[in-house]
Amino acid sequence: MTALAQALAKGSLGNRLWLYSNYHCNLTCTYCLTESGPLVSRRELDPDTMVDLAHEARALGFTQLGITGGEPFLIPHMPELLLELSRVLPVLVLTNGTLFRRALLDRMAPLADADVTLQISLDHPDPVANDVMRGPQNFRKVVDAVPALLRHGIGVRIATTVEDPDADDLARLCALHRNLGITDDDHIVRPILRRGRARTGDMGVVARYLDLPPELTVTADGAFWSPFGPTVTGGVLDTDLLLTRTVRPLQRPVQAMLTVLGARPEGADSTLNIR
Amino acid sequence: MSAAVPPVDVPTRPGGAPRITLIDAASAGLLLRQHFSSGDPGPVIASLAHVPELVGPTLPFLGAVLGPSWIPAREKEIVILRTSAVMGCRYCTEAHSVVALDSGLNVREVRALRGELPVGDVFTAEEERALVAWCDAVAQGAEADIRQARQVLDVDDARLVELTLLVATTVMLNRYATALALPTSLDVRERLLREDL
Ligand code: SF4
Repeated sequence: MTALAQALAKGSLGNRLWLYSNYHCNLTCTYCLTESGPLVSRRELDPDTMVDLAHEARALGFTQLGITGGEPFLIPHMPELLLELSRVLPVLVLTNGTLFRRALLDRMAPLADADVTLQISLDHPDPVANDVMRGPQNFRKVVDAVPALLRHGIGVRIATTVEDPDADDLARLCALHRNLGITDDDHIVRPILRRGRARTGDMGVVARYLDLPPELTVTADGAFWSPFGPTVTGGVLDTDLLLTRTVRPLQRPVQAMLTVLGARPEGADSTLNIR
Repeated sequence: MSAAVPPVDVPTRPGGAPRITLIDAASAGLLLRQHFSSGDPGPVIASLAHVPELVGPTLPFLGAVLGPSWIPAREKEIVILRTSAVMGCRYCTEAHSVVALDSGLNVREVRALRGELPVGDVFTAEEERALVAWCDAVAQGAEADIRQARQVLDVDDARLVELTLLVATTVMLNRYATALALPTSLDVRERLLREDL
């Protein structure tokens, strides 16, 4: 058994390879780790590269793909790309859920038979409180998009990112997601991480690399320890969780990841529920 | 043939701000933390840290070529300092002026290698003058000069290989440090001031 196979089997390395499709976004959330927005540099991963990386990942023993950004659905051919990627490995896509108007929903239809799940952000049961963090009309667009995607047969999860979770707010949010057709198993709650715009805005929890579950993450700027690694602060890419600039062959960053994993202190499991 | 060192043009060494951000401990990638754990690792590592996977292979190579070996430190520092001066590399010339002093060269020898005094007036040993001529010829790369310098450099093949790789590696570092305008560290500056260099 190779060192990678062992790490994947033991769970000391996450079995999902994350790909940052792009860094730009139609929103500018107050806690955004990547300082994304409409005007930032796009730093896209080329779609062919993403497909090649998916094949390499499968050959190496990874069993899932994650696509994140930025907002992946700003990439023109994202539904078609997801279909192609899902033929290689099951795909989880992180999206803000605000772009699913009729035309895009129609193009999503073929994904009903594919192993593709969308993880959509929804932070608060009150539209005003939600939209203060994520932008005008965000709440309404998300509560419209979730049932529409489910009707198209596409799997959806909801992710809630909060600074100080209030039990009552959380209960109302859970009632809301159930009402939208999302089960409790498909709702995750996680803290704001003090990186990127959250750091500038004095929000969130500080996480050391040991607090972040190791999940190899590839961007146009290189490979990182975790999808929470390639953050941007003050317009500059954070490099503290950078593994390698070289991402292909994928074996290169995998080797760097294994080296760091091997040097990790015993019992250094995450405690912050960052996922 | 005696080892007269033909005059070479030792360029002035322009200063200026670095052309890149130097990575600090807070920004150093996961593979590099050991290099930053006991303070500032210097601008070569702090610049290479932009591409973490280069650090692993580069440092042992530089250590093997530039660091302690079977060739005496004095001889190696003559090569590194002279080459850096001929190449006009401010960073390497300043840093290795200090290392040369620590390796037993005196201030006049350092000045001569930096092109501030005639090498022939300061270095009396024939073999050291021949070594300086070899550095000048290899660094500047003219075949005729290299052929002539080889005739007076009385060393075996093994020594020639290591000394030549040392010149070539120093040239590589000179280009790197000059192109990126790597800054001289404060302690080197202070030492150079104290030594009036
Ligand atoms: S948090 Fe997500 S949706 Fe919000 S600006 Fe950042 S990338 Fe866009």
